[in-house]
Amino acid sequence: MIEHGPLLERLLAGEFVCAVSDDRAFRRLEDEEVREQIDTYLRPLNRRLATNAEGSVYFLAWRQLNDEAREQLSRQLGEVLHSLMPMLEWLQLMQEALGHDALVAPGDVLKPAELSARCEDNQSLREQLERLAGDSFFGSQSEQLDAQMKQVFKRLREHGYLLQPHADRQVYLVTGKIDYLVDLVRLIRDEENLPVDDERPQTQESLL
Amino acid sequence: MKEFAVSDEHELESRLIGTGVERLALLGKHADVLMQGYSRDEVPLEALSDSALRRLLAARIVWRPDDQGGVKLAPRVRELIAEMLADETRRQVNADVGETLELVRTLVQSYREAQSQGEYWRQEQQLLRLRQAVDDLNGRFADAIDSLWQRLNSDFGFVSRLNDKIRENERAQKQIVRLLDGLQLIDFDELIELVGGDGTLRKLLISQLQRQISQHYTSLREVQSRLTELMARFRQQQSRSRLISGMAAFLREHPNFVPGNYARRSDVPDLINQAVPLIAAAAPAVDHEPDIRVLTDLVHQLPTPLHKPQTVAAARPAEAEEQSLVAARQQALKQDVESFYLTVIDHPDPTGISALAYLQESDMEWGEEIWLFQVIAEYQSLPRSEQKAFELHQLESRASRFNDLRLIHDVTLQLANSA
Repeated sequence: MIEHGPLLERLLAGEFVCAVSDDRAFRRLEDEEVREQIDTYLRPLNRRLATNAEGSVYFLAWRQLNDEAREQLSRQLGEVLHSLMPMLEWLQLMQEALGHDALVAPGDVLKPAELSARCEDNQSLREQLERLAGDSFFGSQSEQLDAQMKQVFKRLREHGYLLQPHADRQVYLVTGKIDYLVDLVRLIRDEENLPVDDERPQTQESLL
Repeated sequence: MKEFAVSDEHELESRLIGTGVERLALLGKHADVLMQGYSRDEVPLEALSDSALRRLLAARIVWRPDDQGGVKLAPRVRELIAEMLADETRRQVNADVGETLELVRTLVQSYREAQSQGEYWRQEQQLLRLRQAVDDLNGRFADAIDSLWQRLNSDFGFVSRLNDKIRENERAQKQIVRLLDGLQLIDFDELIELVGGDGTLRKLLISQLQRQISQHYTSLREVQSRLTELMARFRQQQSRSRLISGMAAFLREHPNFVPGNYARRSDVPDLINQAVPLIAAAAPAVDHEPDIRVLTDLVHQLPTPLHKPQTVAAARPAEAEEQSLVAARQQALKQDVESFYLTVIDHPDPTGISALAYLQESDMEWGEEIWLFQVIAEYQSLPRSEQKAFELHQLESRASRFNDLRLIHDVTLQLANSA
């Protein structure tokens, strides 16, 4: 168990462990035997290892849901929902600014300076960033584009969606927590039967 | 007669070689123009002389699809360039096995004929062409497989949109099916019968070809499964992107949407069950003998404070004095107000005692406003049971006819039972 010490500490502190945030730890967690060992250790703390549908990110869940745990989960869910819209808008902003037609994914490299430059040249992106940064979740007070972008990235790092490998370099990696967020959106869509479709539209060929 | 035919064929061969060298040189000589024709629709003619164009046309390096239209690269040349550049946007997969097998059959028959007639040179020639046919077949599969791996490993990087990647992936998968179908056409039972007892043919058409074909088969299956995986990833990316934009659009339209509280359900979804962070805290302890030395070392290693202690000491009293002075005045005011309350108790007066009058009679120096404020505050901070023992009357008036603000001019305090 001793070799899992640092990993346990990070998990207990509420971190999401994925292949980007800690490749070695993640690979160990993929081993069922290790997961069982950790679960046994966590039992008296009323916690267990949990993962998302694709198994791309690990975190700790309550083993037994008592009233206190439910209370905390409700609060937490409230916070996540509060951050949902700004997070979705950030994902869309990144997609547009990068000119991709896929969302940012774990392992993607993001450079705030480059993204600022793209927003600078594009009024619509500029406005999106402004609205986003001013949201209470990101909480930027600045009117400077660079500062807004920096603040947004700082908050995302604090929330574990991004990783900054070198503290003195403005280069970030997207972590597996993004997968968790997407799964959560899908859960809400399914639970509430929202008219949000993620299937691909019928292609021309298959219509013919 | 036979001798003559052989020398004739030799002559033909050397003439072919001569023309081939000449025409291959054309490719190099006009490389610039030809590459422009490769990247555009037509070959630009401005840079070509009439005779050069004639030679290129004769060599079938370029052709004129119709009389009115311009000159274009011949399909084979385009393929050659695409192959040389591994240009996946234009590279074609073409493994026409059927035709090659037909050629192999013909060549084997001529080879046998030459063999039975003792025409060794012709036999050699047929064998050479057979080798080339087998190599070509092999090379076409190898090229096709190489092209597939290139596309796979670059995640179809030569197109940027996800939809295009998905279409390219579909196209690649169809090519694999065609290639696998082609491999199926090679019937080794038939080939075994065809070569009979000839050791050379057997080696070429059975053992060598079989080994190569089985390699291609394995590669194709591998690339096929990887393409399917990649396709699943593309589809997943597409689905994620659509989900996020769909949800964002929904939330924009329904800003007041609140989903249910899943934490209160009997069956809480796994995804939202995320335990509260727990910090594994520890503090230095000296109840373990060996640790003491370590701790002592650590204490010694503590960096010496950067600030000079005197500066801190000099700054502190000034600040503290100011704070304590305010606190002391506050305390004095409170005590004076308490004396006022005691006076009311000691000298019960049915009309009550005016707070302002009390202030003026004493030699206290409090401002009227702050005094009244403290008297009222004192009353309000009393426990309810003690509050009942007093009656506090406020002498107040409206600020003006048009302003309902109440101004307190004075308060009188009396014991409740003395009224």
